Amino acid sequence: MTLKILDPTVSADEAAAVAVAKRVTDLDGKVLGLLHNGKVNGERLLEHVREQLAARYRLRDVVIVRKASASRVADDADLDRLARECDAVVTAIGD
Amino acid sequence: MALAAEYEVAGWAEAVETYFERGWTDGLPVVPATADAVRRFLDAAGRAPGEVVLTEPTRRRSITAEKIAINAVLAGCRPEYMPVLLAALDAMADPAFTLHGAITSTGGSATLVVVNGPIRPRLGFNAGGNVFGPGWRANATIGRAIRLVTLNCLGAQPGLLDRSTQGHPGKYSYCIAELEEENPWEPLHVDRGLPRGASAVTVFAAEGPHNVLSHYGETADAIIVALADTMACLGSFSPGQSFVVLAPEHVRILARDGWTKPRLREALYAGARRTRADLKRGGKLEGAVAPADEAAWVHRGGGPEDIHLVVAGGGAGGHSAFIPSWSRERNSLAVTREIR
Repeated sequence: MTLKILDPTVSADEAAAVAVAKRVTDLDGKVLGLLHNGKVNGERLLEHVREQLAARYRLRDVVIVRKASASRVADDADLDRLARECDAVVTAIGD
Repeated sequence: MALAAEYEVAGWAEAVETYFERGWTDGLPVVPATADAVRRFLDAAGRAPGEVVLTEPTRRRSITAEKIAINAVLAGCRPEYMPVLLAALDAMADPAFTLHGAITSTGGSATLVVVNGPIRPRLGFNAGGNVFGPGWRANATIGRAIRLVTLNCLGAQPGLLDRSTQGHPGKYSYCIAELEEENPWEPLHVDRGLPRGASAVTVFAAEGPHNVLSHYGETADAIIVALADTMACLGSFSPGQSFVVLAPEHVRILARDGWTKPRLREALYAGARRTRADLKRGGKLEGAVAPADEAAWVHRGGGPEDIHLVVAGGGAGGHSAFIPSWSRERNSLAVTREIR
């Protein structure tokens, strides 16, 4: 006898939709944000990213933000600052 | 009519294999979830299938009562366990628990669930011998259902979102009840602000239990020395909270020697300490050891109130347990909810 069984999963597309920020096509004259997750070595990884991007683009400025703890989400104040001041943000764990 | 997608399979054995093939188990066989079974679970909880009962705050993934019920069936729960499971999941969604961090971190925590109140005998929870071990359906399947929800609904699959370096066996199931009948003091849920007659769950993102054997002293002082020393172990040392699950034999000696819960918490906080020099030598703090570090003491937790005391275990044996927080800082705290 056949049986009908139910799917126990919740897929990502059922999550509340969040609008994605406008994409940038290059970083010339732009402000780059670097959000450090708080893990050991995250700063090193982001510094490497900064060097690589600075060699390729004329960055106007770089804003560096460090999360208080790797375990928690970034503070609203930090996210607001990155959104306000930066054209693009790179985040890294570097664990 | 179920809202979840249905899959037709040839029979019961094929259904079990289908759950394995799709990666919807914890590595053990599950009970296939049919629409009839899931309806019975939802009825027992008094919930509509589409009702959102949990929203994970970081990734904002919402989980309906139906998905919880499906996972409860898979875990082998009975329908009447649903209120316990829902209360535990509600507690885990509290921002103080830091659910996303707890289920994804390299630290590899599991959700320790402690059940209190009259629901314990009613649902057949074990609070006695082998309390962390196998043999009792309510303990085993409610703990398992929580793991299945994190795997199936929160995306915490090993190697994907769950990046545990090692994890621990409590990730299969980690649910105990307090042996309130052997507790000479107030039970955990009363400490946490609920009335004694209430039923409650307390959840804690936790490492596995560390055994604290103290057989021969037979005095409160000896037991406290052993407990505090275990709580000061370097591997788990942090400013995080602690659970101490006292064996009936140990708690009887503590009460006989005149100890109260507040006094015991203070003694354990005072004893569970290391020098900054030790913490640096053990790679727990950055930097070189300075002379002043040898006499600078750091305590486990933020104060005596960070030590949660529970009584559980068999009648014989001087084995208590220390359960450290997953959180190495103060990012994940114990959360209690009444079971309604």
